[in-house]
Amino acid sequence: MTVAPLRLLILGGTGFIGPHQVQYALDRGHKVTLFNRGQTNPKLFPGVEKLIGDRNKPDGYAALKGRTWDAVIDNPTQVPRWVREAGAALAGSTSRYVFVSTLSTFRNRREIGITEDGPLHEPAPSDAVPSGAAYQAAYPGAPVSTYGPLKVRSEMDARASFGEKALIVRPGLIVGPGDLTDRFSYWPVRIEQGGEVLAPGSPHDYVGFIDARDLTEWMIRLCEQGASGTYNAVGPKHGMTTAEMLYGIKAVTPGNARFTWVDTDFVLERKLRPYAELPVWMPNRGDSAGWARMNITKAVTAGLTFRPLAETARATLAYYHAQPAERQASLRSGLSPEKERETLAAWHAKAR
Amino acid sequence: MTIDRRSFLKTSALIGGAATLGCYRSGGAPLDSDGVSASAAVPQRAEQSLRVLVLGGTGFIGPNQVQYALDRGHKVTLFNRGKTNTALFPRVPRIIGDRSMPDGHKGLMKGEWDVVIDNPTSNPKWVRDAGVALKGRTKHYMFVSTISVFSDNSKPVDENGPLNTPTDIDAPYNAQAYGSNKVRSEMEAKAQFGENVTIVRPGLIVGAGDLSDRFSYWPVRIEKGGEILAPMPDDPVQYVDAKDLGEWMIRLAENRTMGTFNATGPKTPTNIGEMLYGIKSVLTSDAKFIWTPHEFLTANQVRGWSELPVWVPPAGRTAGFSRVDCSKAYAAGLTFRPLADTAKDTLDWYHKRPAAEQEKLRAGLAPEKEKTVIAAWKAKQGAGA
Repeated sequence: MTVAPLRLLILGGTGFIGPHQVQYALDRGHKVTLFNRGQTNPKLFPGVEKLIGDRNKPDGYAALKGRTWDAVIDNPTQVPRWVREAGAALAGSTSRYVFVSTLSTFRNRREIGITEDGPLHEPAPSDAVPSGAAYQAAYPGAPVSTYGPLKVRSEMDARASFGEKALIVRPGLIVGPGDLTDRFSYWPVRIEQGGEVLAPGSPHDYVGFIDARDLTEWMIRLCEQGASGTYNAVGPKHGMTTAEMLYGIKAVTPGNARFTWVDTDFVLERKLRPYAELPVWMPNRGDSAGWARMNITKAVTAGLTFRPLAETARATLAYYHAQPAERQASLRSGLSPEKERETLAAWHAKAR
Repeated sequence: MTIDRRSFLKTSALIGGAATLGCYRSGGAPLDSDGVSASAAVPQRAEQSLRVLVLGGTGFIGPNQVQYALDRGHKVTLFNRGKTNTALFPRVPRIIGDRSMPDGHKGLMKGEWDVVIDNPTSNPKWVRDAGVALKGRTKHYMFVSTISVFSDNSKPVDENGPLNTPTDIDAPYNAQAYGSNKVRSEMEAKAQFGENVTIVRPGLIVGAGDLSDRFSYWPVRIEKGGEILAPMPDDPVQYVDAKDLGEWMIRLAENRTMGTFNATGPKTPTNIGEMLYGIKSVLTSDAKFIWTPHEFLTANQVRGWSELPVWVPPAGRTAGFSRVDCSKAYAAGLTFRPLADTAKDTLDWYHKRPAAEQEKLRAGLAPEKEKTVIAAWKAKQGAGA
């Protein structure tokens, strides 16, 4: 399809979701410029203009001076200060500012069908930073806050700086090729290995995630449409249960996995950590009762689409198998084989 | 209940021309641009090239055998009436003969073969006639039988399970006695070819090219979306992709593996829940399964196998039907491609069929009946709540 080419500035652009944005934008005929430290994956996109700057440094935005853009996409920002500084550097030189926020801005996900207007965390102080040595070093004495409140503050600052030009996207768990957290990848990898697989909770529990490609491609289309406002961005579109996710993933493997469902009480009793050791899944009760049942009508109406699960699972596996052996051997999420075995043994013993 | 692999098959049915030709190539297929299908590796050449005669070879499983055999470097000849899918494999030599006619096997009375694969035969007389015509000129005879040879589906069986009473080979052919005909055919194969016989007993064969729609119903139905009547998710199912079956048979020929094999799967037992969600995974569908117990389905005159394909009630006379022991076949190299590939191939093939065939599936539940039964289920749930 033909769309008017946009001049896009992508802040970051070399991590997980960035490269998918860049590739799609290039495929759509847009003119892309990257702005980053030049340290992560510097060989990506050799033909794309790259401006160098470190947002933790004074005058970090100097390389952007004197340029104008149709849209700026701010991917990597956890520090509200960065958003304000981006505002100062770019508010007069871009027609749109796209901020990647998070569903973690919501105070809890107790309700089913939370819309964009659901209750948020109290914002972090304006000068707060995430924990982590790099931030402490860059901003000595700054108060430390957590992810959700920092993003709430950042959203407020984005709106303050860019007004109607601000477009805020709040993804849920982003998955697929390029994911460094393995928070979805664990399942395809584990299921491909086969054997008895511990499946958390009930087969009917809901899970939510979004393929990085669905997210980023939609973000580029939002820029093309000139959209603004705030959007929850998670899938799958029609609601997905754990059974559907795990069985669907199994369908792209040789099919040697068997699932044993270990109920929520037992999982919590054994102090297995939802989301981390049992990736994607959160207990479908309490503060996370509506975790995977957010209202996404606004995003879908604005053109968010979803790949088939098999495509996400297959691309994730292909990405995983292309990693060096040591990276493949040390998944960053999920149960260790020993812990899985022990838990299953305890579960079977209890059932007896 | 009749469990009859061929009851929906019309051997003369159309597979639409050129559009279908590509669907049999398992090897060398490029990665589909959709990203759902795996890129299939080109099969390696076999160590030794075999002279393979395929009887039939242009129906459902035959073309998968032929394509794989060609990819493996074998020399393939077809023997058939020259009526079904005549555009397939234009470079493969073809002997014309109609086995239902007197002298129909005459064309087999010359040539020498390393293996003859007999695909389309339910009439034991055909086996006898093939045996007489091929006497001393093939080293190996491979017969496609069926798990419908078993007389008792109430519990899981291996190859030694009790069989149906064989039909009388000299009695007039009765197509309805499918299982009994196949039992007699198996016996006749052994009588004709002695030790050099492989008998393969597939369960439900599925995938691209299936004219019975007994698996296709599900991907097609799921693609349509909405509320879908389904049995309980834990109910067992078994099936085998025509490609996996056809390719394995060629490898059996290469290895000169003789004997009788139950041949369905997958290897790790699965259930209808996994199957339906696995199919759904290749689609972005709003399908929602309404899982219902077999007692309710039976009470509402919903028939397993024909109206809810692949599945049969996991109780009573069919309690063991979907638990056939195929460990012998697995040990002999029967493998299973991912379900997503089977589902995607089936859908892609379905969408290339003529519109009239797409509208009229030969298996599955009528939309009105599905609605009625779902409403009855909800009413029952409401009443019980």
